Amino acid sequence: MSDVVVRCSGISRTYQEESVPVQALQDVDFEVCKGEFISLAGPSGSGKSTLLNIIGGLDRPDKGDVEVAGVKLNDLNESELSDLRLQKMGFVFQAYNLIPVLSARENVEFIMQLQGVSPAERASRATAVLEQLGVEGMADRRPGELSGGQQQRVAVARAIVTRPVLLLADEPSANLDSATTRELLEMLRTLNETHGVTIVAATHDPIVMSYARRQVNLRDGRIVEDKQNEAA
Amino acid sequence: MSETIVLEPVAEDRAASLLSVRIGWRNLWRNRRRTWLTTGGIAFSVLLVMFFMSMQFGQYAIMIDSATSLMAGQVQVQSSRYLQDSRFEDTIVEATPLIRLLQENRHIVSVAPRVEAFALVSADERSFGAQILGIDQAAELETVRYVKMLKTGSNLAGPDDAVLGSVLARNLGVAPGDEVVVLGSGKEGGIAALVLTVVGLLETGMADLDRSLLLAPLSTVQAGFGLGDEVHTLVVRMDDLSSSDRVVTQLTEQLPDALTVRAWQEILPELKQAIAVDKIGGQIMYWIIMVLVMFSVVNSFIMTVFERTREFGMMLAIGMRPRAIVAMLQWEALFLWVIGTAIGAGLASLLIIWLHDVGIYMGEQMEDYAKQFYMPARLYPGFSREVLTVAPLAMLVGTQVAALIPSLRIRRLRPIVALRTT
Repeated sequence: MSDVVVRCSGISRTYQEESVPVQALQDVDFEVCKGEFISLAGPSGSGKSTLLNIIGGLDRPDKGDVEVAGVKLNDLNESELSDLRLQKMGFVFQAYNLIPVLSARENVEFIMQLQGVSPAERASRATAVLEQLGVEGMADRRPGELSGGQQQRVAVARAIVTRPVLLLADEPSANLDSATTRELLEMLRTLNETHGVTIVAATHDPIVMSYARRQVNLRDGRIVEDKQNEAA
Repeated sequence: MSETIVLEPVAEDRAASLLSVRIGWRNLWRNRRRTWLTTGGIAFSVLLVMFFMSMQFGQYAIMIDSATSLMAGQVQVQSSRYLQDSRFEDTIVEATPLIRLLQENRHIVSVAPRVEAFALVSADERSFGAQILGIDQAAELETVRYVKMLKTGSNLAGPDDAVLGSVLARNLGVAPGDEVVVLGSGKEGGIAALVLTVVGLLETGMADLDRSLLLAPLSTVQAGFGLGDEVHTLVVRMDDLSSSDRVVTQLTEQLPDALTVRAWQEILPELKQAIAVDKIGGQIMYWIIMVLVMFSVVNSFIMTVFERTREFGMMLAIGMRPRAIVAMLQWEALFLWVIGTAIGAGLASLLIIWLHDVGIYMGEQMEDYAKQFYMPARLYPGFSREVLTVAPLAMLVGTQVAALIPSLRIRRLRPIVALRTT
């Protein structure tokens, strides 16, 4: 109990799609413990991205409570949620979403600048994390000069450089081939195992599921299966 | 849970601000064509507004110079009571030391003392009311222009000489060489009588002056009207029109309270008003030009915000505050303004400096007209603080507002919605 990083209690979320209500999540209870590597799996529309967004404070549930790192998200206003995301979470997006006018190093330093980290510490932490992810040679290149896999590594570097409590990844392999996907997942597993980074990844990619040590399957907005992946 | 984490608000420090500046500058060059089109629009409007304003100000300078140098001068000193009631008795006493004092001011080029009286002028059987001006011929020539507008004859030379307005001379039936008798009231209530010889006729083109003016030497009029060293008006010419306000302030402090010092704006209020009305017309045109350019800047920023919605969504998602993103866009707008204004103001300055030297030829017809009124045949643009600041500052405010309008959408942007945009 003491290791719980995320606790969702009875959360529901309904969207209006062209005036038609769509129940994305229905009374979901879900916990993430420190150091876990979880895949949220399920078909399109199952609610995995909605759950990830609610955990990340990017969306709010209509009903139920969400706590991340001991902070009840329901009580936070937009600015406080923004600060929580900046200080405690790392995000990896499907489309990398790097800032095209900044180099790889600047993209990694960007988030630390928002946090007010000193220039010297920014530089050393950015160098270290780019080395760790094997893209130190690309540090001065802009995203447009990098391959998809390299961009996703830089995106991961940006997400972990702040040493977040929680790393959230939304379809991290969607734009990668299987070999690059495996490289990325090896890297995420290393981060998880050696640095204790807690990872929650929403995916429908079986390769990603195979690397996660716990797999939570959703269907029609409900958790239908929550199992440990012994093979991972 | 393992530990409860207290969230500290993130300080937006200098580094984050510098980051906005850097990203803002680089974003400008993501779409070079659009950036150059937008800065080109800003540059063109700054160039246009600065140039036309300088032409307008050049024209005003000619108007003011023409009006003040004809007769009124740029500054006048009079008794406050004379200014109020125009009574002959309300004079400036001991004019000579006062003239010397005025001449010590480095901005004052010349001072022309005048005695102003109304009297009956007769020749043979004919009599007409006339405005008698007792003038110091040399000082008047140095200060104003009307004394040079002789139709025939010569200027005042001897103590009994008189120069008459051409219409007054015609009405009296006199010509140079004839005698006229001036009869009026002196200061002490006695009769002022002068017998003068007409030496020249003036034709200023202004009916009032040509019909009523009689010029005579200052000392003759002072003696005839019992004034001693007294005058009614001291007409002042400055080295530069722009220093007239400063000189008025200095003289007002220096001179006794009984005297009033006025600049051309007070002496010729109709001229000031005409310029003000013309300025409004010009300003309407300038604002139309600048507002049209602002629309293109707004359009440019709407495109920018629209194209970068997903990027902004990512920034919001990772914890950047909306106001920091808005600040980034404001920096972009500032850079657009700096580039556009530097180009526009630079080109405008070169053009104005060149034309300030060579002038703009207004055609033969205008040349004849200008010659008639002792005006320059060419129009010279003029620099002023307004020319240099109005367009650049208006564009600065305009570009910032233009960027702010679409940027405000960012405050309402939800990261998950923004991240889904393609």
